[in-house]
Amino acid sequence: MPELRRDPVIGRWVIISTERARRPDQFLDSSVEQEVLAPGEKCPFCEGNEDMTPPEIYALRAPGTRPNGPGWSVRVLPSISPLLRVEAEMDRHGRGLYDIMNARGVHEVIVETPKHIPESEIQSDQIAKTFNVILDRINDLERDHNIKYALCFKNFGTAAGGSHIHHSRTQIIGTPVNLKRVKEKLAGAKAYYDYKDRCIFCDMIKQEISMGRRIVAESKGFVAISQFASRFPFETWILPKRHSCDFYKMDRSDVPDLAELVKNIFSKLRNVLGEFPYNFVLHTAPFRRDAEKKHYWQTIDLDYHWHIEILPILTRVAGFEWGSGFYINPLPPEDAAKALREAKT
Amino acid sequence: MNELRRDPVTGRWIIVFLDKVPEPKDLMPEHPNEKNGSASCPFCWGKESMTPPEIIAHRSSGSANAPGWTVRVVPNKFPALRIEGELDKEGKGVFDMMNGIGAHEVIVETPDHFKDIADLTYAETEEVIWAYLSRSSDLRGDKRFKYILIFKNYGKVAGASLEHSHSQLIALPIVPKRVKEEMEGAAKYFDYKERCVFCDIIREERREKDRIIYEDENFLAFCPYVSRFPYEIWILPKKHMSNFTDMERECVPCLARAMRDSLARIKELLSDPPYNFIIHTSPTDGGQREDYHWHMEIMPKLTKVAGFEWGSGFYVNPVPPDIAAKNLLNVSVAKNEKGR
Repeated sequence: MPELRRDPVIGRWVIISTERARRPDQFLDSSVEQEVLAPGEKCPFCEGNEDMTPPEIYALRAPGTRPNGPGWSVRVLPSISPLLRVEAEMDRHGRGLYDIMNARGVHEVIVETPKHIPESEIQSDQIAKTFNVILDRINDLERDHNIKYALCFKNFGTAAGGSHIHHSRTQIIGTPVNLKRVKEKLAGAKAYYDYKDRCIFCDMIKQEISMGRRIVAESKGFVAISQFASRFPFETWILPKRHSCDFYKMDRSDVPDLAELVKNIFSKLRNVLGEFPYNFVLHTAPFRRDAEKKHYWQTIDLDYHWHIEILPILTRVAGFEWGSGFYINPLPPEDAAKALREAKT
Repeated sequence: MNELRRDPVTGRWIIVFLDKVPEPKDLMPEHPNEKNGSASCPFCWGKESMTPPEIIAHRSSGSANAPGWTVRVVPNKFPALRIEGELDKEGKGVFDMMNGIGAHEVIVETPDHFKDIADLTYAETEEVIWAYLSRSSDLRGDKRFKYILIFKNYGKVAGASLEHSHSQLIALPIVPKRVKEEMEGAAKYFDYKERCVFCDIIREERREKDRIIYEDENFLAFCPYVSRFPYEIWILPKKHMSNFTDMERECVPCLARAMRDSLARIKELLSDPPYNFIIHTSPTDGGQREDYHWHMEIMPKLTKVAGFEWGSGFYVNPVPPDIAAKNLLNVSVAKNEKGR
């Protein structure tokens, strides 16, 4: 019998299908196409090709090297095709029953390594550098009062919206409005807190650790789980064990531990799935500035908990999902967690 | 400069490109929906025994579960939900679950393996709509089901597992999240204005005219101002009605024309792209609602949903809907009663 499971935070239901169930090893033929550069095409993200990109916003560089030249280890660029742009003034207006806003915001690309190597070869100390740069960037964006939320994500493989150039990179988009998906999570967490006086994510972590069946890996400060109501096969969440709503206020001394765990989880996933298309999304609390603090979000420090979602794109989102917001997952998360726990790293 | 637009019903924002608009040919799928045909297709004439026994079928000759039908409805062989049993809900710590009770049916729209709705005649499309109406009316009587969702996945990228054109119906034990959001948004608008938001959208679209691709006395098809996807089309009944199954008999031919022509335009302009369509209607409990309006959403799958959409619930649409409508109107579709 298929089982319906409800996401405890946002109330989204997922059908864990038994009729169409697949075994963990049946997802192996996931499709990430070979990287093929057009004749004469160079990768603009490689060290030495800095002149092919807009001037850098920020970079971790060896002492004595100059901006927009070689010698960096992580480099931040404005997006070449930005969804939102920095320069414009904010403009909101209505048109009949429609509301319109100009696309003011920021769109940055974080190049995670100077070398053009497969992601699997990036070591955890380099991943730690990327996390540190993400922290630096979000801290910097917090100072721009027009930006309400900094969304950090990654697309890998064309099935997940990634580009044909595989050079590993993460994106940050700073938006002028609070995001629907984020608001849902915040509202769900607050409703639970209002009722129980506890953080729902902390409760979830406790329950998962005591049950053990959906734990993928654990480190000193973090835990990775196949979430109870996973939308996708091998969907994996990473949560800090210590309660905190803001990723960007994370203690820098915890970064190596997080990087190590991320490296570990991706090796496990690749071990089971081969090279797979995925999205990586960081969920954190919106920026709170004094004027906004007064009204709502009074308890956000207590009720919300930042986390990372890794979403392998192995199944297609189809009409049913679009129409219902319901997802059909052919792999019970318990089976996914077991396969990942047993996978070598 | 890109523009952000807010959906007046759900409050969802989209980003629409205004300066770097791709041509239709840039959006066309790399691998068009080529149908190879298959000797073992369970939806072709003569293969009726490969599916569970039919629930209903339209046929001019032959007996049940034999060739001769024009539209055939069968239970899904691999259902996402199962019809037998009582609903059972339970909780475990922070987690809630229930057993997967529901109905999952397949509507085979034509016996012709190589045709899609875009290629049918208006009369054949009417038969498909009659099958939708008759199955949803029947299932609305089952008290275990709160919502009936009719949708179609066309092409692999849009989630179709079989080539032979078919739509699906799923009856659910709960009102799904996406529907609830839409209902709540519409209810809020009604509370504030005492008008149906969809009726207002129809008024607005008819006033601006630029995005309309089909109109007759009963239906309006247009590329909505806040389209999430390039070449997205909505079809709405002009007369306020919350429930799809309450549609009047004489409206069926109009819907058939609106639907077939919209799909034919998409097929012609974008060389047979994958798409989904969904009929949005009110939940099974309760009668007619003043604040909700059933409609159909057609979403060609030309772009990929990526990390930004997952994290934000924002959609990025590279084709402004007025340009989409203009391009769709520029292609010619067979206006007569003949299909292709």
